[in-house]
Amino acid sequence: MNPPPADAVSAAAPALPDLWPPVKVRRGFTGFLRRHPTVAIGGALLLVMVFIAVFAPYLGTVDPTTLATSRRTRPPSAAAWFGTDMLGRDIYSRVLYGARVSLTVGFSVAILASLTGLLIGLVSGMVRWADGFIMRVMDGLMSIPSILLAIALMALTRGSIGNVILAITIAEIPRVSRLVRSVVLSLREQPYVDAAIAAGTRTPLIILRHILPNTVAPMTVQATYICASAMIIEAILSFIGAGVPPIIPSWGNIMADGRALWQAKPFIVFFPAVFLSLTVLAVNLLGDGLRDALDPRLAKAP
Amino acid sequence: MFSFLVRRILATIPVMVVVALFVFSLLFVAPGDPAAVIAGDQATPEQVERIRQSLGLDRPFLVQFSDWAWRLLHADLGRSIFTNLPVTTMIAQRIEPTLSLMTITLLFSIIVAVPVGVLAAWKAGTWIDRLVMGFAVLGFSVPVFVVGYLLAYFIALELEWLPVQGYTPIARGLWPWLENLILPAIALGFAYIALIARITRAAMLEVLQQDYIRTARAKGLAQTPVLFIHALKNASIPIVTVIGIGVALLIGGAVVTESVFAIPGLGRLTVDAILRRDYPVIQGIVLLFSFVYVLVNLAVDLIYTLIDPRIRY
Amino acid sequence: MDRRTFLKISAGAGAFAASSGIAAPAIAQGAAKTLRFVPQANLANFDPIWGTQYVVRNASVMVWDTLYGFDENLVPQRQMVEGEETSDDGLIWTFKLRSGLKFHDGEPVLAKDVVASLTRWCARDSMGVMIKAIQQDLAAVDDRTVKWTLKKPFPKMLLALGKNSTPMAFIMPERVAKTDPFKQIEEYVGSGPMKFVKGEWVPGAKAVFEKFDAYQPRQEKASWLAGGKNMLVDRVEWVVMPDPATASAALQNGEVDWWENPITDLIPILKKNRNIAVDIADPLGNIGSFRMNHLHPPFNDVKVRRAVLMALDQEEYMRALVGDDNNMWKSVPGYFTPGTPLYTEEGGEILKGKRDIAAAKKLLAESSYKGEPVTCVVAQDQPITKAMGDVTAELLKRIGMNVDFVATDWGTVGQRRAQKSPPGQGGWGMFHTWHAGADCVNPAVYIAIRATGDTAWFGWPNVPSVETEVGAWFEAKNLDEEKAAIARLNKAALDNVVYAPTGFFMGYQAWRKNVSGIVKGPIPFPWGVSKTA
Repeated sequence: MNPPPADAVSAAAPALPDLWPPVKVRRGFTGFLRRHPTVAIGGALLLVMVFIAVFAPYLGTVDPTTLATSRRTRPPSAAAWFGTDMLGRDIYSRVLYGARVSLTVGFSVAILASLTGLLIGLVSGMVRWADGFIMRVMDGLMSIPSILLAIALMALTRGSIGNVILAITIAEIPRVSRLVRSVVLSLREQPYVDAAIAAGTRTPLIILRHILPNTVAPMTVQATYICASAMIIEAILSFIGAGVPPIIPSWGNIMADGRALWQAKPFIVFFPAVFLSLTVLAVNLLGDGLRDALDPRLAKAP
Repeated sequence: MFSFLVRRILATIPVMVVVALFVFSLLFVAPGDPAAVIAGDQATPEQVERIRQSLGLDRPFLVQFSDWAWRLLHADLGRSIFTNLPVTTMIAQRIEPTLSLMTITLLFSIIVAVPVGVLAAWKAGTWIDRLVMGFAVLGFSVPVFVVGYLLAYFIALELEWLPVQGYTPIARGLWPWLENLILPAIALGFAYIALIARITRAAMLEVLQQDYIRTARAKGLAQTPVLFIHALKNASIPIVTVIGIGVALLIGGAVVTESVFAIPGLGRLTVDAILRRDYPVIQGIVLLFSFVYVLVNLAVDLIYTLIDPRIRY
Repeated sequence: MDRRTFLKISAGAGAFAASSGIAAPAIAQGAAKTLRFVPQANLANFDPIWGTQYVVRNASVMVWDTLYGFDENLVPQRQMVEGEETSDDGLIWTFKLRSGLKFHDGEPVLAKDVVASLTRWCARDSMGVMIKAIQQDLAAVDDRTVKWTLKKPFPKMLLALGKNSTPMAFIMPERVAKTDPFKQIEEYVGSGPMKFVKGEWVPGAKAVFEKFDAYQPRQEKASWLAGGKNMLVDRVEWVVMPDPATASAALQNGEVDWWENPITDLIPILKKNRNIAVDIADPLGNIGSFRMNHLHPPFNDVKVRRAVLMALDQEEYMRALVGDDNNMWKSVPGYFTPGTPLYTEEGGEILKGKRDIAAAKKLLAESSYKGEPVTCVVAQDQPITKAMGDVTAELLKRIGMNVDFVATDWGTVGQRRAQKSPPGQGGWGMFHTWHAGADCVNPAVYIAIRATGDTAWFGWPNVPSVETEVGAWFEAKNLDEEKAAIARLNKAALDNVVYAPTGFFMGYQAWRKNVSGIVKGPIPFPWGVSKTA
């Protein structure tokens, strides 16, 4: 290694050689992805699934609800890539269209639960007299395991995607609200927030400028976990018959239909299981990666 | 310490009240007249009216609720719409299998997950770490019933090492009891192990970076295992927390696992009850599970004091 | 407690628990005397007069006995009765009970028990209702003699008392039979060959029956519900398994002995297993059905019903149920069991031939259907109704009707179908079920074909011409007259769509080869069944 030019005023002694070769830190999006491969993998996989869901009709599928009972339970072949189910419906098509249901449920629940939880958490954190009451209610709801809560809510209503989304959302709101509330509480004590209040800034502006930005990171990570959890809960609900109506193909429904035959015709359960697992895996990886990326304490030195 | 206990227990009461209120309201939010739902489809309008009066459904909501809560405290959960048996009887008939399953799964998961998480933290950054964490994420992503079916197929049917379904009460022998629970416990515990292993690893990593660990190493303190006893003890608060919270996973997963392995427990009772809209049973079970969950978390708080002497309530 | 003490105690507990594993061998010996059976559904309630589901009836034949019972030729034979007499004008029936008949609680079976039981049965059974309408008196003459006095002759009396279609004329103790026929009994005491062990009943999971040692079987050979009901096992355990995959695996592993209704897709696997025998369950098969609600729109309009029938493809339904095996299904353009004397295809053109969807749509357009959703209630836990439900949803969509698909369980369907309220208010528009072929052989046992309006079976079809022909059949003096009446009945029923037959299908049953004595029939008869270890 060559020593730096001798005009350096600080050079009292020759510089030590580098112990490791200097690493080029890539800025920008690609750099971000390189440094956090889990985000890259998870994100890519998720994008594939979204693509499949959106473009399902153009990916070589047929109408997923068309019956053809003379061709029931055929193993995978050139005519039916994933085989046919008990009523002769093409499993490949059903699985691809099923992506729509699972992703819709996952994303909707994540967004709805986050927004509602945000609202509740903000109110709870900022409005002291409401805090105790709201937190007791949230604690109560959190004490009921989410699946049981979702099941109980589904028992009240007819099965439909909307009701499933609603039921799972209600089960996931308490966690988000707790998270937001803890952020709000910790920020409330910060000097700069105090200063802002002293300077006479109105509350909404405080929330907007100081509090919300700090909730974005943990909420995003939490949202991905909620998405993964929602997709699994939807599958379980459909599996036990309390979820999306059987007419609509969802991964949980396809598995529920095929569960009686899994020993004879395992492909009916296999394909939706693989797709569901990959999607949930993708979302989990994304969440893990984002958490590592956004957590300043874990920032890796390049 | 005692006052802490009392305060903690008192703190669970408002939580249980909220749960009870929610559960009780289920019957009222349901479509249709609660009295008609309870009376059943064969009932005449006079019979429905009689039931309405005997249940006091014409009284204000809060009065009905306190009445119901009072009966609850006397362990009267009402009668199932379908079987006409008291809900407490139905729960008592099926609690042993579920309790057994959850206990075995809990023990099994902790025994597997904690050492695995510690190992991953010890060898952080190596292929062992990545492998373990890879499995952990996978464990979280595959639904419980898929794992269940896979296990049942390969181990029970193909290899015939273990029975494929059913439950044997412990009164008939320890090994038969365990035999029936091994596969369900693995299936149910899959996600739970993943969760605990991840948190263990994360907590251990934090602790291992602490100064006192470095000091201990620098002082040449025995081998790393001894360090792990030190490190683990300090890391255990988040681990124990997650074990407590994860019980919710077990409860939810039990519903599916019992269906796959034909275990006559509370989980299957729940599934049957929701399909049939058997509200008294649904109410009873949700209440019971929530209560168990609250107790578990109370126990977690108590365990904190055992682990960390600094925590004094 | 310090750590060491804790470890010591748990080690001790572990050793103690392990030692209790010695109990295992003793259990194995008892196993040869226990028959573990997987029934078609859960035994949620257990009143065979109040509940007409097959699973209730199948359990009930073990616990309660009947005065007469069908043999395998569907001819009623004496069971609890030693002899009967009819007066010359056919108005007085006198039945004499066998001696030595006992209930499970040790009490003897007396004539007054018979009287009370028959009274309760008459309130719920279609033939019983007919008898009650012409009844003058039903009384116990002495402890073993019952006299039934009628105002008009009723030649099919023995058939009514011995039939296997629900509700069967089970004889219960007087105190139990005095329960209101529209409420469930709470005590399950009978005089049948097995006792119901109520203490071990876990609804949804298990029902246990134990041999009744004081049962007096008849001397004749057993033939379905007739003859000697000899129990060769001490215990029958009904293990409820809603998941067919689990039941299949359990049968293969020897964890259960006999499965009532394995689904067709799993049959090849079961056949391959060296330890399992597979055979037709019931040669009389089943007729699949869905029933439309004649009380409310849209199905109160016969044109709508006929439009649905026009588009109905029985092959589609049957393939969904039995798969590729053509031996297991037939199309049935009518309502009576193929292979039986009264089978007819009269009026069945609408169900024959290629389906004409365009014509169906046209008929629908001419009807009063305004696009309202059809509330279709489908039980998901019964493979038969689940499969048919999906096919029906598709059928309705094909002709342009809107479907409100309600996925629920069999127990709920049983309760909901009894509601006469409009579909929007807790009622229903259509539900699926099936009937054992044995129940579709003649109008006497066939509650589903009756069209008496409000008192008919669920769906409440009101077709006077059908009822006229039922009367004609009852009055018929020979087989030819019966056939003529049935042909006219079939046509009238199809023209008005009393219900929609989806086809004739048979099912399998499967058992482990160490079990013997299982016969084909409409009910899984446990008598004569034995097991080697």
